[in-house]
Amino acid sequence: MLFTLALIAYVLATGLALTYLIQREEGLYRLATAATMAGWVLQTIALVARTVEAGRPPFWSFPEAVSVSVWAAVLLELWAERQYRIKALGAFVLPVVVVLSISKTVARPDIEAIAPALHNVWITVHVVLALLGIAAFVLNFAGGIMYLLQERQLKARRPGAFYYRLPSLEALDRLTFRALTLGFPFLTVGLIIGALWAGRFDPLIASSAVAWVIYAFTLAGRAVAGWRGRRAAYFAILGFAALVLTLGAGFLMPGPHGS
Amino acid sequence: MGTLFVAGLNHRTAPVAAREQLALEADKLREILTDVFATGVLSEVMILATCNRVEVYGVADAPGEARARAFRHLCQQRGVELSGIEPMLYTKTDAEAVQHAFRVASSLDSMILGEPQILGQVKEAFATAQSCQTVGPTLHGLWTKAFAVAKKVRTETDVARHAVSVSFAAVELARKIFGGLEGRAVLLVGAGEMGELAARHLVEQGAFPIYVASRTWSRAQHLARALAGTAVPFADLEATMATVDIVVTSAGAPEPIIRRDAVQRVMQLRRSRPLFFVDIAVPRDVEAGVNELENVFRYDIDDLKQVVDANLREREREAQRAEAMIRNEVERFAAGRRDREVVPTIVSLRERIESIRQAEVAKALSRMPDASPETRQTLEALSNAIVNKILHVPITKLRESSRSGHGGSWTAFVHELFGLRRDEP
Repeated sequence: MLFTLALIAYVLATGLALTYLIQREEGLYRLATAATMAGWVLQTIALVARTVEAGRPPFWSFPEAVSVSVWAAVLLELWAERQYRIKALGAFVLPVVVVLSISKTVARPDIEAIAPALHNVWITVHVVLALLGIAAFVLNFAGGIMYLLQERQLKARRPGAFYYRLPSLEALDRLTFRALTLGFPFLTVGLIIGALWAGRFDPLIASSAVAWVIYAFTLAGRAVAGWRGRRAAYFAILGFAALVLTLGAGFLMPGPHGS
Repeated sequence: MGTLFVAGLNHRTAPVAAREQLALEADKLREILTDVFATGVLSEVMILATCNRVEVYGVADAPGEARARAFRHLCQQRGVELSGIEPMLYTKTDAEAVQHAFRVASSLDSMILGEPQILGQVKEAFATAQSCQTVGPTLHGLWTKAFAVAKKVRTETDVARHAVSVSFAAVELARKIFGGLEGRAVLLVGAGEMGELAARHLVEQGAFPIYVASRTWSRAQHLARALAGTAVPFADLEATMATVDIVVTSAGAPEPIIRRDAVQRVMQLRRSRPLFFVDIAVPRDVEAGVNELENVFRYDIDDLKQVVDANLREREREAQRAEAMIRNEVERFAAGRRDREVVPTIVSLRERIESIRQAEVAKALSRMPDASPETRQTLEALSNAIVNKILHVPITKLRESSRSGHGGSWTAFVHELFGLRRDEP
């Protein structure tokens, strides 16, 4: 029930944030922020309630874990919006949040929490790190999309709604890069622990390894050849696509991440 | 209480030829204010004269006569035929005059929507009228509110935000690419006036260092000194481009000076750091194909004009929001003004009845020297209750009458009925 309410608040916030992008009415921005915060608070309560009820962390089944990563992504979005003064950020992060929130409805109904035999501190660390990584990459992805939109406006030399609403290319590039440097260590360590712990091939590990390679490539390109801007934005989108595939694998395939 | 009105002409109703005829110097303005005020036709007056408008704001019992008086004085002073400008004059009274004042102060009535000078000009005109002591409570209230509304419009809408000149549009674009301009290096190619202006704007925003290249070495040196920059030889153009962020060109050579293949080489050296070309020259100095290169943005004079047009449309969109804000404020201002109309009557009515009550209570008590404190208290309470119950309906009706715009006749009636003294404001 609480989760549904939180989702409704996120859907509402998404609608408001997108309308704000077009209408540019300050009141809409405040409403969107309020709805986002309300959704986040509701989700926090829901997660705490579930933890108390089940007597275990709220992320020991795959759909639960996605829910927690949504929670972290919203928190990160609210923070980055203020930190980087990008009022349009919500319009790009919230749709992803909603899609991720709804995605668990397509999960195999027989997915259950991890068998008690698998409980140990490493799995907790693995899951938490992977979740934080995903939250940062949601921001990385949103930053990339925004960069491409603003760059297109500037190249076309015909200012439209995005030109006025989105911040400078420099700010967007910085946001994308910061999110990448935040998410990458989490993903790396989470992946290593996960792989060691699983000790065998798993489609999920394979697809998250693909995402890891893409992100590693982006970082290397920036350090060595000064890749930034459009190229970094393309890689942010590519990397996120790989992460989404990973989540799809988690939802639909049997294996340690499923049952 | 007289009627608030504004009468005058502006850039929409009068051509510049008529507006310049009425242009006034400050001391002439004082003279006219004092003269018009001395006729006694107006109880308050202020004159706003800028190059785009000449307007008389005043309070008078007969606004039509007041307008004629004021403009006759103005025309006499400037040696202009009143009949010539009469058809260009507009007059607005009451709420419409309030709305007009708010729109003027907020720069919604300006020739260039949102231009910032008008607010200062209005403040100056108000200060002049104040120093001539021709301002009373009505104009004081009007302009104090108008200045607050103007500030609100400026901060809560983008009506004055985006650049409406080509050179400022270039600065704004540079900000959209680089964020802040502090420490961004600029190369100015050619010694055209527009290019220099754009470079100056960039410097004002913190751009540094500035390099200047021109085909004539002495001209490059001269301009470099003026901009506190460094002259570079024309031959080093490519090498300099590799180190700067913004290139402004206004050389006006018959052939493009900066070619696509040169920029391509430069971009490799730059490790994809963005490069922004502002090409103000006609014919253009930077080859058009340069814009297709990754991380290169090239704007020529037509592109910049297009940005200015978009900005103007943006201002118009915002102006609609500002108009709605102003309609709201006019409503509230008018309500406050109407309330002020009946409040003195309510106060004197209360005072009148209260003094009767106190006198009668004192009289009654003097006849009962042994009255206990309880009795005295009861007597006070009883009389208070009667007064309040009787006054409740008349006071409510008075407030209602002010809201429906009939406050004037109601207050007169109440004064008559209760024999109240009329305090002249």
